[in-house]
Formats: sequence, structure tokens, C-alpha cells
Amino acid sequence: MAPETSDLVRARVFIQSRVQYLSRDAGKLAKIEMQITETKSEGLSRELEINLSSDEISGKINDRIGEIQRTAQLPGFRPGKVPISVLKKRFGKAVLGEVLEKAIGESSQQAMTEKGIRPAIQPEIEVAEFEDGKDLQYTLAVEVLPNITLMDFSKIRVQRLVPQGEEKDVEQALENLAKAHQGSEPIKRKRKSKQGDILTIDFIGSVDGKEFPGGKADNYSLELGSNSFIPGFEDQLIGSNAGDNVDVQVMFPGSYGAAELAGKEALFKVTVNEIREATPAPIDDELAKKAGMADLVKLREAIAEEQAREYVSLARSRVKRLLLDELYEAHDFELPKKMVDSEFDTIWADYEQRKKDGKIEDEEAPKPEDIMRAELREIAGRRVQLGLLLAEVGRQNDIQIAQEDINRAIMEEARRYPGQEDKILDFYKQNPKAMENVTAPIYEEKVVDFIMELADVRDTKVPLSKFIETLEKDREDEEKEVKKSTRTKKSGSKKKQVPAKSLTKKTDKKDSNKSSETA
Amino acid sequence: MRYSVLRDKKPSRERMYELLRAPLITEKSTLISEYNQVSFWVPLNAHKFEIKHAVEGLFDVKVTDVNTLRNKGKTKTFRGRPGVRPDRKKAIVTLAEGQSIDVSTGI
Repeated sequence: MAPETSDLVRARVFIQSRVQYLSRDAGKLAKIEMQITETKSEGLSRELEINLSSDEISGKINDRIGEIQRTAQLPGFRPGKVPISVLKKRFGKAVLGEVLEKAIGESSQQAMTEKGIRPAIQPEIEVAEFEDGKDLQYTLAVEVLPNITLMDFSKIRVQRLVPQGEEKDVEQALENLAKAHQGSEPIKRKRKSKQGDILTIDFIGSVDGKEFPGGKADNYSLELGSNSFIPGFEDQLIGSNAGDNVDVQVMFPGSYGAAELAGKEALFKVTVNEIREATPAPIDDELAKKAGMADLVKLREAIAEEQAREYVSLARSRVKRLLLDELYEAHDFELPKKMVDSEFDTIWADYEQRKKDGKIEDEEAPKPEDIMRAELREIAGRRVQLGLLLAEVGRQNDIQIAQEDINRAIMEEARRYPGQEDKILDFYKQNPKAMENVTAPIYEEKVVDFIMELADVRDTKVPLSKFIETLEKDREDEEKEVKKSTRTKKSGSKKKQVPAKSLTKKTDKKDSNKSSETA
Repeated sequence: MRYSVLRDKKPSRERMYELLRAPLITEKSTLISEYNQVSFWVPLNAHKFEIKHAVEGLFDVKVTDVNTLRNKGKTKTFRGRPGVRPDRKKAIVTLAEGQSIDVSTGI
């Protein structure tokens, strides 16, 4: 090598040590020198052209090589004594790629902060040109989060239905309970047996004149109409008297458990010993005690509560939907197109999948594809809008998720896979993405709670039957609404309701929204 | 003169490739690059004249001097039996001023 080259190496080593010193000093605050020109700013999309000087890049490369030098081991050299020139030849390309990637990442981040851009999606970066020793030029295309002016939440009015267990339902439940605890007693007057009676019988069964194992019993209690025996058996005993001998001829069903009996004709010689009547247990404190309650009053209360509880979550999701509808109506802002697109893709893929699996309801199937697409696109738009809205509410009001909540949710998730709890916990610890799947719904609930607190929520107590009716009516309304909106599709028309599935599936939208925020 | 015969006889192309077995890249060899010298592993039977011809022929440079040395193989004992590693020969080639070879890129 020529002497000049080696001088150059020395000079670089010298500069490099200074550069290292400087950069270490500045730490992460080191500002990247660059020229930013905004080439496009339409609606929500922005395009920046960024120019990084070659000095910047080569400085970074030298930094990186210097780092490598300290640890590099090459044959023929003592550790840490490999000359820079050799290292550059060896690792130059790899380091260059690494440095470029990092420089682009950092500079785009910095450019966006400088320009006050809050990206809604992962920015798209395209390197226009780069050659060793030349400036690095690239364009960055991104969509920004829309500016959302939040409404005054106290203006929201929603009706919250509080389902109440009804007297009639409670009675029904009590009767069922009583029946489960029923006893029986011999009939008082002699009569023929009828449906619902309990017969005490002896029977010997035979197939082709031969007895078969398990076909014989004495003093067996059989409830007529309980369908616990082969079909037809119980029917043939209706109308018999106590002490009668009845020959019951039945056919074992083809699907009978024991293969050698299946599909065979069988003859049962039955002796009816006694006819008993079923007597439901009286509804009293005694029954309450059997059910584990102190007395009947307590039992009634418990049943009413139990019935109401089943519907609490339904009631909540109804309120939430009403609330979200209100929010959706009250806000109007431009949506980042890419976000809607990616959301739509997810929904569409899901729809296609369901269609393939044949899980689509009949009325949905015959719709032409373009209408279906428009419909799903609207749903996607709604999801994105609500997701952005909720995220914005959370951001402005500094809503945080407590660590305990996350832990609880993860534990719950883990409990669903008994025996593999540890694995599940590890999985979540190692996958921030999966973690988001858990945290997103929690966050959503928190924000909804927050809004609910501010909003004018009125409790209305309704009987259970009415509550269920309302829910069903809601669903019908939605379906009608969807049909109507697809038939008379207008660009400006807003749909009030979307199918409930959009709500249950909203979590993944929130998810994507959040991840883009953190990106 | 016998030497003049050796000095002027150019080795064949094949022999040239055979002669320069590998560049010798070590701390020492990068150090002496300051004096415009490059080092190669060469066959034991190679002599300075043909090494000079080979470097000049393959790298298109002017060689002012060639030094060689024999690197004696170490005696190593493996499972109680002594063995000898093969001897090797290094060639340190001095290039004319202003000329250089990028040894790491190969021929």
C-alpha cells in the first residue's frame, strides 16, 4: 500500500477518536444535520424529502467500525489490534447497511418531530439515491393523525337499561328447582298409568329368544316420558295397571351403543309392580335449604340477582354501543386513508374466509361484491374513526392502564390453558405485540368508562323480558339499517348503526391504531 | 551465467498462479505495508526471480525487491507420537514507489 493511504488511516483514526468522544458526549441528543423539504401536504398525507450529508454518514460508519475494532478477532491479529483499514475492507458493506438503516430511522424520527408530524401509520421510506461518499437522499411519505376536536361529553345522553329479574321469571326458576328435587308417592286410587308417572318394574329382555347381559332388572323406577329407555319402550307401558305383565316389543336403534344389539328386535317381559305419582317438592324454606340458602326469601333474591347478572354485560355493551354511536355522530374528521385501507383489508379477508367456510347468513350471501365492499368499507371507516377518537380521548386525558389490570388480564388468559400457564405468561412477556392485544381492550374500556362518567347516563330499570326484547329490536333495526344503507348508498349519508360484530371486533382496530402510535 | 538464465526466464501463467498461494495478512504484514511491501505464502521451491515475475505479471506492478524466508514447521506430539508440520515459505515483495496491490481482493 502506498504511504499516503496509511497516513490517511492515521488521520481517520485521529478524527474518529474525536468523533467518538463528541458523539458519546451528546449521547442520544445528538442532532442529525439534514435538509428537510416538504414536497407534499394534502389533507392528511405529507411527503418529506430528506438529505443527509455524506460526512454525517461516514462519521457514523467510522463510529461503528471503531466499536467493532475493540472486539474484533481476526486470524493473524491480536484481539483489539486489527487496523481500521483491514476492518473496513472486511465489514465495510455490512456496517454501511446497518448505519444507513439506523440513520434513516433516526433522521425520519427527528424530521417528523421537527415538522410536528404525528404519524398515523408506519412511514413509507424510499431511498432516492445513495452511493458511497455521496449524500443520502430519501423521501418519506406518511399520513398524519387528524386533528380531533373532542366534543363536550356532558352533552351526550344515553339511556342505560338496568335489567331486573321479574317475579314471573323467578317463579319459573323456583319451579324448575322444585322439579329437580321432586319426590314420588304411590297413587292413591287405582288407575291406569299415564305419561309422567313413575313405574316400578321388573323386566327381562331377550333378543331372538335369548337373554342378553344388562337386559334384566328388578324394581326399576322408570319415569314415563323421560325417554331414558329405548324409544317406544316407555310408550308401550302407558295404560298399564299395577300388577300387569306386559310384553314390550322394541327395536334397538341402529346407532345403539352395544354393536351386537344395534338394529335387533327385542322382547322385554315387563312386570309392573307399582305406579307412583311424581310430586314436585313444595316451594318453601325446606327447598331453599336444599339449594344452600337460609330461607325462601333469600332464595328468591339470589335467583333474581343471578338472572340479572347474566344480562349486566349485555346491558353494558348496549350502553357502550349507544355511546359510540353518539360519538360517531358528533365527530367528523378526515381519516387517514391507509389506516382505513388496512382495516378494510382485515375485514375483507375475514369476510372471504367466512364465506369460504360457509358461515355467512343467507341474506348476506347474494349481495353483489361491490356493494358488499362498500358496506364493509364503511364499517372499516367507522372502526378507524372510533379508534382514533378513543385513542385521542385517552391521550388528552392522560388515561393510563394500571399494571395490575394488565397482569390480571394476562392471568385470566393464562388460566384458559391449564397446565401451560407458565408458557403463556412467557409468551406475553416476550411479545409486545401480543401484549397489545391484551391491553387494547382494557384501554378501550377505560376510555369508555371515562366518557361514561362525564356523559349524561340515565339508568332505567326494566324487567328482564323487556330488556331482551329491546336487544332483539336493536339487532333488527341494525339489519334493516344496513340493508337500507346499502340499497340507497349515498356518499354523504352516515349510517347510524353497524352490525354488532363491528363492536366486538373493534379491539383489533384499536390494536393497530395503538401500534402505529408507538411506532 | 546460471543466475541470468533464472532471472530472465518468465514462468508460465499456470506457474504464476501456483506461486502466489495466498496473501499473508497479519499485524506485521499490515505494518510493513507502510514501506510499500506486500507478503505472500509461496511454495517451498519458489525462488525470488519467479516470484518477482509472478507479482509483476499478475498485478501489473513494478517490483523492486523480493525477500523470502523459510518458516520451519513445528514438531507437535499427537497421541504420544511426534509429528512435524510442513515447512512453509513466505515472500515479502517490495513494490516500486507509488504502486500498490489490494491484497484482500484476490487475483
